[in-house]
Amino acid sequence: MNEFLITYLVGIIVVSFFVNMGISLYGIFAKPNLIKKLIALTILSDTANAFAILIGYRRWPPGSMTKPAVFTDFPPTPDKIETFASVAVDPLPQALVLTAIVIGLAVIILLAVIIMQIYRTYGTVDTRVISKLRGRKHE
Amino acid sequence: MEVLILLLMAIFAILSSIATYLAISERDLLTAVIYSAIQSTAYAIIFYLLMAPDIVLVYIPVAIGLYPAVFTILIKKSERFEVKEHEV
Amino acid sequence: MKFEQVLIAVIVVIFILALSYAVALGAMGHDVPPLNIRELARNYLRLAFNPWKQNLTVMSPEVVTSVIWDFRGLDTFFETAVLYLAIIGTVVIYRGVYTASKEVVSNFDTLGMSPIAKTVTRITLPLVLATAVSIALHGHLTPGGGFQGGSTAAVILILILVIFSLHFSVRKGLTKNTMLTLRSLGLLGISITSIIVLILGLITGCQAFIFQNQPKAYSPIGLPASINGVLISGTLLLFNIFECFAVATGLTLTFIIMLTPESEIRSVMSGDRYE
Repeated sequence: MNEFLITYLVGIIVVSFFVNMGISLYGIFAKPNLIKKLIALTILSDTANAFAILIGYRRWPPGSMTKPAVFTDFPPTPDKIETFASVAVDPLPQALVLTAIVIGLAVIILLAVIIMQIYRTYGTVDTRVISKLRGRKHE
Repeated sequence: MEVLILLLMAIFAILSSIATYLAISERDLLTAVIYSAIQSTAYAIIFYLLMAPDIVLVYIPVAIGLYPAVFTILIKKSERFEVKEHEV
Repeated sequence: MKFEQVLIAVIVVIFILALSYAVALGAMGHDVPPLNIRELARNYLRLAFNPWKQNLTVMSPEVVTSVIWDFRGLDTFFETAVLYLAIIGTVVIYRGVYTASKEVVSNFDTLGMSPIAKTVTRITLPLVLATAVSIALHGHLTPGGGFQGGSTAAVILILILVIFSLHFSVRKGLTKNTMLTLRSLGLLGISITSIIVLILGLITGCQAFIFQNQPKAYSPIGLPASINGVLISGTLLLFNIFECFAVATGLTLTFIIMLTPESEIRSVMSGDRYE
């Protein structure tokens, strides 16, 4: 019963992340406003990062709870280090997600500046109107 | 207990799904930015429960501070409401 | 919120609860989340703070920061390059546009928002700056680091730009050129810190590697791990300080460019500048 409850709750988290990805993908290709597409892109990249961190979690070992990846038991001895390695969560997905968040921030900032310039040139942020203009500047 | 932490994570994951749907289907762009910030707060709590404190310290200034600031400046300099059908 | 939005939100919640029951019956496998993490991750956890293996350790109890700046240092180098290219891209698009007029504005005292907002910002400015610097300086001991502290400091600097207006901030010294200079100094610090052990090795005649922190198997030279009993973990402290500086000023620079008044940009775009 306990095992099934744990699997059910992890299943809720995974399915909810998939639903987030689906809704934000729909928002990117179906909404014609450029700013709504940008908001949906931030949600998509955040959900992908959340998946990566969820993979690094581990079950509670018998006797204690999982700890974050910070060594707090000074001064260190070899068996304290072994205990730490058998209790802490995986630190590698966190390091890679840190890089991914920074790169996502860089892309969003550049896209926002470009959207501002599109509004100044064409007078609108609606992709249907811009595609009908076919490159003429705004009247 | 282990089940309690996973239960809290599941509650905040469902809250983030509701906020995502409201953000995409909302026509007023400023309200959509607020819903997106609610979704980012739910994600920050999920990251804390998944024992990733470094990611929480990056995610809170970036996704709750910088992204709504960028979107608010963008909305102020262009239009606030989405248009459903455009007369040609 | 309209009625149909609430209805569809409830349908989404019921869909998630029902589908995850079907998924939990066996679709994800039977080992989620696992009881034991991967062998590579356990090796990184054992080697991050291990005074008995001096050739392989980083001497920093914070494992994620040691993975970012020492074990996988080249990933962070390329991430810094991508952020640098994005910021330089926004600076290059608006070359030749003056971000704010430096001449005396007639109603200088009424610029910006109401006195309530200005007083609250004046109170929270030293609090947030102190927190940001503390997060950055303790990056090798507690969760934190350069990028975390830098983005927190960027948030409060952007708040100053918005509440006291851009013209006031330019007059007090928070200009585009200052931020660009400080960002370049921060990036120079990061690039020198990544090759500092190499330079020390070339001076004293030993072999050394790029991004080296502690003495390794074939190169007996490295930065000290602790000074007078205080743990500084070699290059990790220098990396955190310079990264905080570079990120805070770089993000503020992008916001100064985004907040440029529309009349200025339209006059450049319509060609009134060169007459």
